[in-house]
Amino acid sequence: MAKTTLGGIEMEIDEDGFIQEPDKWNKEIAEDIAKLESAYPMTEEHWKLVNYLRDYFLKYEIAPPIRMLVKQTGLDLKKIYQLFPGGPAKGACKIAGLPKPTGCV
Amino acid sequence: MKIEDISKKSEQLITIKPEDLMPLPYPYDTPDADPAMRELTQDQKNRYEASLDGVLAIGIPKPETKEIEEELIRKFLSGLAKLLTKENNWTFLQPLLHSLEYCVKCQICNDSCPVYVASGKQEIYRPTYRPEILRRIINKYLKKQSTLSLKLTGSDIELNWTLIARLAELSYRCTLCRRCAQVCPLGVDNGLISHEIRKIFSQEMGIAPKELHESGTVQQLKVGSSTGITPKALGNIISFMEDEIEEKTGKKIKIPVDKEGADILLLHNAGEFMAWPENTEAFAIIFEAAGINWTLSSELVGYDAVNYGVWYDDFQFAKIALRHAEVAKALKVKKISVGECGHAHKAMMVIADRILTGDLNIPRESAIPLLADLVINNKIKLDPGRNNFPITLHDPCNMVRLMGIVEPQRQILRKICPQFREMEPHGVDNYCCGGGSGFAIIQSMNFPDWRSAISGRVKLKQVLETFQDVISPDIPKYVCAPCSNCKGQIRDLFNYYSVFEKCNIFYGGLVELIANAMVDIEKPFIEWEWH
Repeated sequence: MAKTTLGGIEMEIDEDGFIQEPDKWNKEIAEDIAKLESAYPMTEEHWKLVNYLRDYFLKYEIAPPIRMLVKQTGLDLKKIYQLFPGGPAKGACKIAGLPKPTGCV
Repeated sequence: MKIEDISKKSEQLITIKPEDLMPLPYPYDTPDADPAMRELTQDQKNRYEASLDGVLAIGIPKPETKEIEEELIRKFLSGLAKLLTKENNWTFLQPLLHSLEYCVKCQICNDSCPVYVASGKQEIYRPTYRPEILRRIINKYLKKQSTLSLKLTGSDIELNWTLIARLAELSYRCTLCRRCAQVCPLGVDNGLISHEIRKIFSQEMGIAPKELHESGTVQQLKVGSSTGITPKALGNIISFMEDEIEEKTGKKIKIPVDKEGADILLLHNAGEFMAWPENTEAFAIIFEAAGINWTLSSELVGYDAVNYGVWYDDFQFAKIALRHAEVAKALKVKKISVGECGHAHKAMMVIADRILTGDLNIPRESAIPLLADLVINNKIKLDPGRNNFPITLHDPCNMVRLMGIVEPQRQILRKICPQFREMEPHGVDNYCCGGGSGFAIIQSMNFPDWRSAISGRVKLKQVLETFQDVISPDIPKYVCAPCSNCKGQIRDLFNYYSVFEKCNIFYGGLVELIANAMVDIEKPFIEWEWH
């Protein structure tokens, strides 16, 4: 496990850059991860997706299925890849401070 | 390269060069068609044991002191000794001893191994390489044969941490597809030996890929699913699927959950709920149309068919298998039916047979023959004209080679897919997708590149060859892979090589094709943009 500075504080990250303490997440941390994920500067649409993921995670302790995310944010997959070149899981979820997806997904 | 080289310290035992790799057909038949595999950073090489091939599936931290290293060597030997006793390994002892003792080193199995062949025949990936190391360690360190006689017969080996760290990674360069076992004239199962090596590392030394153990079996037993889906999240996802079904088909279908006394408890790989809900939706649509009395479970573990224990750890395996049976028993269902998940077939139907006794020995079946019955006997109305595009079938190793479920899925495809064509070889002679034994879910560092470029390479070759006459991106094509793990691997493999963009080859499950052919659904069920 490596350590790095995000949003001005030292954070633990895994080998793929996912933060290990989702509780510490804040907007500054999100923006710093977005810089590494070629998703900076973050526009209103970036935040729409990130906030949606964050809210779902706080409620259900997991990321939503991708189809649900597309339907409920109104952003299609192509648009999501434009906003987050790493894709919904490795890009958007990482910026939203969610854990790395696990299982057969 | 000699067997004993595995103990000799060096930066890397082998380095795979792009020119070593098995050639691929059009449009990947040019030297630059292969993406460059990511190399580990120097920092990663400093922190982890990466001296096998510069690839990391486990990522074992380098021991901090000599004492820790020695303790690990001691544990490895005690774990190996346990593997060879009935008390500690009654489940697999007989085939293990058979495989250790009966191999005559004829090497017939080598060319059957997709990893060995695709890698350009790297010595260390031979199906016989790992077992020979294990055999030599047993002879020298457990059977205490004299060094002189070992030297005279050329079968000496030095057991040190370098060897052990490399062997751990090497046990994750075999997908446990057991194609080698199939061709062995003596019934030696070198795939089983990879599995048994993984058990030493997990059960005795606490070493396993994080995706299989910590976020796999441990998470499944704790929160209910290796995906992290809790019962609460499951409820939300099920109502989402019901909305989707209504939107796509115009039908209002209530997905039954925890229905006591149902004929069938349907167990899905929970990865379907997250990544391919169209698969679980199609099951619900088909079962509803056929009037089947079925249910899902919302109990912990009861909504996730996976049992990653079957790949690396008998203890974790047993805990999950028992939990599945307990859930079914409490629901008083007549039987468990397993959806499109290969390793869950193996876990629940083949291996769990050794531990489920008495009233926990609930009938357990594959859903595939049931689906074939519905299609063949016209229990739902289908129009094959709706699946009029080239389709080929991938055979999941666990369902097909291991269990012999060969024909039902073909009966379905022949009936509802006019352009169905077999890939070669197929059926029990199939090749692994390259994601078997947990590889498809190992997403860390550079392992995903290895499993696309090497362990999935023969599968890519097969798919491309099958579709050569229709390879143009103007023609949409479909690879039917009735297994979540295979689907995940094929998705990653196709992304790695931009197969959808270059060849317009889509992948998906079996039930989606059935739902796509249903006459009373107006819109096509398969949505090609979700590649």
